[in-house]
Amino acid sequence: MSSEVRELIRTHLPEFPLRHCRHLVTDTTQFMSIDYGDVIRVANRHYLVYKNEMERRFGLEDPKYWVKRCHELETGERKILKLEFFETFPIQVGRLNVECFRSPDKESRILDLVRGDMRFMQGFTARDAVDRNVRVLDIVSGRRLDITVDRLDADHATYFRTHLPGLLRTYLGAIRAIGTLHEHGERHGDIRRDHLYVEFETGQWRWIDFDYTFKSYEHPFGLDLFGLGNILVFLVGKANITVQSLESLGLPEERTEKLTSDDLSIVIPNRIVNLRKLYPYIPEQLNRVLMHFAAGAPVFYNTTTELMEDLTPCVEELERLASR
Amino acid sequence: MQTQKILLAFDSSESSYNAVAYAGSMLAHVPDVHVTLVFVERLPDRDFFPDEASWRAECDSRTQAHHRHLSAARTRLTEYGIPAAAIDERYLASCKSPFGQATVCSTGESVVEDILRIQREEGYGTVIVGKRGVSRTEAFLFGSVSNRIIQETQGCTVWVVG
Repeated sequence: MSSEVRELIRTHLPEFPLRHCRHLVTDTTQFMSIDYGDVIRVANRHYLVYKNEMERRFGLEDPKYWVKRCHELETGERKILKLEFFETFPIQVGRLNVECFRSPDKESRILDLVRGDMRFMQGFTARDAVDRNVRVLDIVSGRRLDITVDRLDADHATYFRTHLPGLLRTYLGAIRAIGTLHEHGERHGDIRRDHLYVEFETGQWRWIDFDYTFKSYEHPFGLDLFGLGNILVFLVGKANITVQSLESLGLPEERTEKLTSDDLSIVIPNRIVNLRKLYPYIPEQLNRVLMHFAAGAPVFYNTTTELMEDLTPCVEELERLASR
Repeated sequence: MQTQKILLAFDSSESSYNAVAYAGSMLAHVPDVHVTLVFVERLPDRDFFPDEASWRAECDSRTQAHHRHLSAARTRLTEYGIPAAAIDERYLASCKSPFGQATVCSTGESVVEDILRIQREEGYGTVIVGKRGVSRTEAFLFGSVSNRIIQETQGCTVWVVG
């Protein structure tokens, strides 16, 4: 145990059990060995490590050893420290394998770009003693968008009338936020419904996690637009409706039997995009926007501006319908 | 617009070599033909590399390979019978290159925009491009040079070589 750590803890966090104090870390290269009770020192601040962040998928927890949940000793604030970890890995996007890169510097650039813009997570980049990238992030106190929507206790028709107009109005702002990145030549890189948080206190929707990037030269924002489309389809459907989950919805057979392969996602082959066939009260105009993400789409969106230009009047129409 | 003034987009891929071969066989005996082989440099992003040195090394290696391929393409055209004096090579370096010495460079954003800018500004009457044959899903996610050239070219003939 480091005496310096013990003194820091005694001064700033006296309730923390001293027997759990470990080392003062100034070089974060060996991030896998940095654990509970260590204190990371960067930018003249000290961060007591509580645990590694976890990625939860398919009911399993996968530790992200380069992401530490911390307590900033000088201020008492909770922070997340993302340590420098560069990796290349394949991800499956529908039937395609896409080579993906985790780039600390990319995330740092975006943090600089969106400083003060509360549509995004906030933080800054510090350098440790050996000049490695350490991103010090504010924790977004909120709930994932998908969980927020899932917890709305309403059948689809009620949800459609009472919740969806407001959700889509807010979502327009989230799309505009991604457009801001694109205008600056940056892409989010990993747009998913669990990377958009609804802040408890303000209700603000905030994008998190910008460190993914991928090779895409002719349509650099294509994967971002695909992600935005997925979230839109999720919001309109109140769930991701797949060929497999269709039966559980209990919809009349005359609706489900009309589905064809053109009604499915162009990328995810079992996901239903033509939601108007399932829920006929979805306006044609809104459904046309969804169909830009369908296997049968004759044209695709190239920019967030194009998507917003089509979606905005749909939201206005839903708001008019809801106010009647 | 002069149809014999031809812009041949080349990127060292198999499909662009196919385009070179097709152009060579079709144009060898066309009088007053002039072919410009244009290579729009597309280097990997700095973000794909853990450090500056490995990025520069990869860019250097690719740049040298691009130049070799461009010379080979020119040779291939002459082998078909197009006079050497009727062929130009143009290497458009990327503005994002770590060796950025070029006074004129590509946008680094879109090969199509670079090709079409040259076509418009210099009055090329024909654009030739290879077609990789990407799926609709790939075109949706990552774009397609040949599709966009077909969609966006105006007042110019386009040959797409599959």
